[in-house]
Amino acid sequence: MNRLSGYVRGPFVLVVLIVIARFLFPSKMTFLVEITIFSIYIMANDVLYGYMGMVSFGQPFYLGVGAYAAAIYLAHIGHNPLVAIVLAVLVGVATGALLGPAFIRLRGDYFALINAATCGMGLFLLEKILLPITNGDDGLMYYSRIHATPLLDLRKPDQFFWFAMIVLFIILILYTWLDRSTIGASFRAIKMNENKMKFLGYDTFKIRWIGYTMMTVLAALAGSLLAINYGFVNPSISAPDRAAEVLVATLIGGPGSIYGPFFGTAAFIGLRDVVSTFISRWELAMGILTIIVCFWFKGGVWGTIQIIGGKIRGKMGKASAQNP
Amino acid sequence: MVTSSDDKILKVEDLNVSYQKLHVVFDVSLKISPGEVVVVVGRNGAGKTTLFRTISGFLRRDKGTILFKGEDIGDLHPYEVALRGLKYIQQDKHVFADLTVRENFELGSYATKDYDWDRVLDHFPKLKTLMDRKGGNLSGGERQMLLMAQSLLGKPDLVLMDEPTEGLAPHVIDDLKVAFKKIGEQTTLLIIEQNLPLTAEVADRIYAMKEGKIVAEIEDKKEIKDLKFEKYL
Repeated sequence: MNRLSGYVRGPFVLVVLIVIARFLFPSKMTFLVEITIFSIYIMANDVLYGYMGMVSFGQPFYLGVGAYAAAIYLAHIGHNPLVAIVLAVLVGVATGALLGPAFIRLRGDYFALINAATCGMGLFLLEKILLPITNGDDGLMYYSRIHATPLLDLRKPDQFFWFAMIVLFIILILYTWLDRSTIGASFRAIKMNENKMKFLGYDTFKIRWIGYTMMTVLAALAGSLLAINYGFVNPSISAPDRAAEVLVATLIGGPGSIYGPFFGTAAFIGLRDVVSTFISRWELAMGILTIIVCFWFKGGVWGTIQIIGGKIRGKMGKASAQNP
Repeated sequence: MVTSSDDKILKVEDLNVSYQKLHVVFDVSLKISPGEVVVVVGRNGAGKTTLFRTISGFLRRDKGTILFKGEDIGDLHPYEVALRGLKYIQQDKHVFADLTVRENFELGSYATKDYDWDRVLDHFPKLKTLMDRKGGNLSGGERQMLLMAQSLLGKPDLVLMDEPTEGLAPHVIDDLKVAFKKIGEQTTLLIIEQNLPLTAEVADRIYAMKEGKIVAEIEDKKEIKDLKFEKYL
């Protein structure tokens, strides 16, 4: 029971904080939903980069896979958004299962670049080859085709907000489990010393394949949520030039941590929105923040919060010891 | 799969290994019986580590056979060799630095499904007090203990150790010496060691390597005790 509450407590607190923010700042609900969905996408990258140390320059491809799986279903086949999400997740599993065995044989630069190449090819696929289905650059619009589900009408922003909170809560619980499980430890161990893992008796190829597939599934899930939230997708969702923002948000949040992806996303989107109201090239501020994190705050936002929290706890502990 | 009914736990015959065009190990043959503590001695560059890396599946042989419990393991992956009961502790003393000692143990247990930590920790009681410490914060001796303890999970039939005492303080080596003897009573050990007095104390048998070849096999206990094998180095 204690163990279960250990997995649930943190995610619950975070979701409650988001809900409080939603009521304190009603006009920012869209912003909060965007952070929620984008943070699931960043978690996908965090499994790969933060836990396993594999940098990919092609993450928008995996987001696009999920978004287009959901969008094609909703635009051409059915109307149920929950079915669209399930379908996107299954396509995410298939992507990981099919591409994984080839891609994870590569390391370092080669892995990063093959993903970039795949992202470029994916964009061409969406714009040109699959034009009859995807509508090319014009994208797919299907908002009016989405039907209400029995409990929530996901076409309504306020109801989609609650749905996003439920999804985030579940994903955070699973992510907490991953962080504390042997599979999570084995991901981190591979990052530290893959050869030693082999000597212990681990088939590291399979472990990396599992991690890669977790990434594709999470990214596809985030893509499907984006597709349903906007009721529209176009190929820009898979544009290779958006690959850097995933890495930057992961780095800013604190790679390889449970809450790093959420705080990294909040910092990234928050800064972008604030700065872009004053100057058009918001990337300047993002660049400066990234440099600051790289040099002085390697644990990112979440790592810094943990350090400050640890110091406060230490001081409180000392104070209570002096005044028993 | 080649099998043999020989009672030797490890039998290496005419092993040749190269790094591309650089031939490093030449026609090496050795045999280990169950329960033995065998030490391989030799100067740097003699091919000892290459021999161990080949036996453990990390390098591919050019020629020769490696029979472990009668099975030819020469073409297996390192993890397959480990799961068959042959563990290899590398020279570098790298533990998983960002994981705690407990998490390091958990990884060892999960691979082998052996969760009997007490049996292993009996050899290294100090580790019991370090369970929540990160691997990166352990001393060299503590890391070596952790590596040895981790390798004993799954009750391996043979443990290969590459220079386990290199760079350690004399009092730590004394502790490890005791551990070697106790572990040697439970499993077979094949050790690369440059510390000759330690070798003389723990070895049942010694192979001396020079320039990629085994130049001597010393079985005589008195010869081992008197460090006579030094002449082969």
